[in-house]
Amino acid sequence: MQESDDKQTQAYLPDFCAAGTILVILLVAELVAILLALVSYTPDTFLTELSKISMFVLWLALLGTGVLCQIRPWAEKQGHAGAFVVCFVVLEILCLLLAEITWQLTDMFAEAVIIDATHALFLLKTFAASSIVIALAMRYLYISSEWRRSILLESQSRISALQALIRPHFLFNSMNTIASLTRSNPQQAEEAVEDLADLMRANLNSSSDRSTLKEELETAAIYQRIEKLRLGERLKVIWDVADLPMRALIPSLTIQPLLENAIYHGIELLQEGGEVRVTGKCIDGRLDIRMSNPVANERARKAGGNQMAMSNIRQRFELAYGHRASVEVTETDSEYSVHLAFPIEEPGK
Amino acid sequence: MKVLIVDDEPPARNRLRQILADCGDHEVVGEAGNGREALDIAARTKPDVVLLDIRMPGIDGIETAHHLNKAETPPAVVFTTAYDEYAIDAFDASAVGYLLKPVRREKLIQALAQASRLSGDVLDDIGKQAGVATHRKNICARLHDELRLIPVTDIYYFIADQKYVSVVHKDGRDLIEDSLKSLEEEFGNRFVRIHRGAVVAVDAIDTLRRDEDGRTRVMLRSGNSDDELLVSRRHVANVKRRLRKG
Repeated sequence: MQESDDKQTQAYLPDFCAAGTILVILLVAELVAILLALVSYTPDTFLTELSKISMFVLWLALLGTGVLCQIRPWAEKQGHAGAFVVCFVVLEILCLLLAEITWQLTDMFAEAVIIDATHALFLLKTFAASSIVIALAMRYLYISSEWRRSILLESQSRISALQALIRPHFLFNSMNTIASLTRSNPQQAEEAVEDLADLMRANLNSSSDRSTLKEELETAAIYQRIEKLRLGERLKVIWDVADLPMRALIPSLTIQPLLENAIYHGIELLQEGGEVRVTGKCIDGRLDIRMSNPVANERARKAGGNQMAMSNIRQRFELAYGHRASVEVTETDSEYSVHLAFPIEEPGK
Repeated sequence: MKVLIVDDEPPARNRLRQILADCGDHEVVGEAGNGREALDIAARTKPDVVLLDIRMPGIDGIETAHHLNKAETPPAVVFTTAYDEYAIDAFDASAVGYLLKPVRREKLIQALAQASRLSGDVLDDIGKQAGVATHRKNICARLHDELRLIPVTDIYYFIADQKYVSVVHKDGRDLIEDSLKSLEEEFGNRFVRIHRGAVVAVDAIDTLRRDEDGRTRVMLRSGNSDDELLVSRRHVANVKRRLRKG
């Protein structure tokens, strides 16, 4: 799961081997050549000048694209900025190499007249001009890849938020509970339907990325009420969150899915039930929320269950806070615990 | 028909009881909140059909069904489940009766009419496909009508004397109905055969010792001097190998 996510989001560099990309690169290269020729425009020499520069720039563009096409998989591994630094260095080396070859060739054919500079000056000029152009190009590619990446990340987390909406298991069990209460305790059944409706609404509105802690805790409380009907005395939840600033923002649908996990993988599988403990604190301007639940130790826990909700929450925290947030899971034989730490931000700030 | 309802959630049990009361011709002989209770009640009341939830704390539905099968006249089992996608596929594949919650009256009546006994193999299949543990976590011993569940982790060894197989565990010794061969197959990862008539928990073995007659004996951690079991010559090598593996 994690791995495939990484692969999708990790394509920093454009595909240099694709025909479309090559065409665009050649067009841009030719534009640069025209630009350079225009700078030193004189009616007599313009076309000769343009063809000289074009020849050089197009060769560089073709050669560079070819090499980048080959080293792209390796360059990708150097990280986001690293990939572009690698491309820059490679292109610069190619450029200098090409400049040197050009010099040697013109020298050989004794036509150094076309290049009106000394050897060193020629190389230096080429190096300076190409650095600027290549750096600009890399910067552009870097920004557009970052933009693509964040769009991808966002849409992924949207999708997984949709998938994580509510476990079908919970939905059907609640329906079953309500069906049962309809006869034995109509009033409770009515409340349960209202709660379920509120919960579904909160889930459907979750397209807004963040909600206040107050809203989050309310959604979780509604969820707890429904589960309580089903599990009775087996479910206890201790909320120790009075210290939290209720106006602070949190990625929406964080607390309720965590509580759902705690119940599904923990409390539900314990004969005597157990206690989910939620503690919230403010530490150094950061929110620190911890949720822990007992787990049945003799049961070989099936891997994969928790991962879905957890990777979804991780993604959304990364999207909202980048490296300023941490999502940690600690697991022992008898306890599962999730620790969230992220900066306090309030709406309208 | 006598029906036993097993579910860890009280509202789910109520619902089944209500529907059964509506149809009239079935008698609910008991309700259980977990697998162990279900086995006790089943042993006492001998139901024809057990409506069995799958996800339960402790002994889950699949293991409970395994134990129910060991009775002299095992009841038919109909599983009830809210949403276990894998289990449902497994039931379909094995053509086993199952009901989806919330249960519909017609479906329940239909399932009761068709309820049939499940063979152990079918349960194993379901377990495998649904990714639930396929071996039991308990061994079931019967004394008359009383039923005793012995956690596999508490067991030192199984030993066959003449016709019967006994299980020796932390709290004593009981007769069981399983055969040594099936036990060895089911719990092969934990137990090792040391003799034609004995299968021992690897964890329970303290040391191997040679006695005066040159025969190999197993010393058990339980420290009881009765607990020195003879290892037959053809099994010595295998036992040593298992012990080295830990």
